[in-house]
Amino acid sequence: MNAQAPALDIRHFLNGHLVDVFQTMLSMKATPVSEGPPPKFAEHTTGSVGFAGDTVSGAVYLHLSTEMANRIAAAMLGLPPEETLGESDVNDVVGECTNMLAGGLKSALCDKGYECAVSTPAIIRGTSFAIESLPDVRQEQMIYESNGSRFAVEVHIKFNGKN
Amino acid sequence: MASKILSVDDSRTIRLIVGRALRPYDCVLCEAGNGEEGLAVAAREKPDLILLDVTMPVMDGVTMLTKLKEDPALKTIPVIMLTAESGRDNVIHIARLGVRDYLVKPFKEDQLIEKLSRNLTLKKKEAVPAPVPAPAAAPQA
Repeated sequence: MNAQAPALDIRHFLNGHLVDVFQTMLSMKATPVSEGPPPKFAEHTTGSVGFAGDTVSGAVYLHLSTEMANRIAAAMLGLPPEETLGESDVNDVVGECTNMLAGGLKSALCDKGYECAVSTPAIIRGTSFAIESLPDVRQEQMIYESNGSRFAVEVHIKFNGKN
Repeated sequence: MASKILSVDDSRTIRLIVGRALRPYDCVLCEAGNGEEGLAVAAREKPDLILLDVTMPVMDGVTMLTKLKEDPALKTIPVIMLTAESGRDNVIHIARLGVRDYLVKPFKEDQLIEKLSRNLTLKKKEAVPAPVPAPAAAPQA
């Protein structure tokens, strides 16, 4: 496989895939937001899953407010939205949602000839942080809205040094 | 006799969803958080079917599946992969290792039940009859 980026519209693919993950696993409607600044949170809960292969590598991040993370955890566990959950339960759900997003992207990349493997999920919590990538890494950020709350998916991806 | 199903997934949430989907059915759910635990539980419990994730710490699902198929005592247990990864080559590779079926996350609980029902007999639990109220005491003559 040559080093050119595949004919895969990552933004378009992930928009559809995220809506499917939210609808199927959480029974929640999520809508891509085409305009506006990235959401700012007082406290972040971010899921991350890396992927790596000979011709492609990168990571998928799901950025949520801690309140939104608690709400999606309750939805997936079949609990009322106002239920306060333990941090480990919330982390597990956010990690699994991120895993589904990254697994879908990995599958789409593999179908384009870019074989790669995904990592197990990791969770980052904090009040103020930014994820920066190394040079030559393409970054895409998609913003979504669900039940009046905004959240973001960020993809960092590198195709053999060419993007 | 109740069916015995082993769910091998590093996500507690997924194991919980599997348990919730199976609640109406007469079956026993065993759980493991990675492939190594999964092999140990499979050897001990001899499940009728295994639901297996791919990406897990310690031992991934493909390694567990390979070892399972090498074990004469376990190789006939049907395995359904339950994974977020559905790339064509990935599916072909795993199919060659001898999986019975494949369910891609995200999934609905009824899709899971449908896949399971194709591979084993799932019987609904019998409704527990409501307790019969005690007859009122006859009035004393």
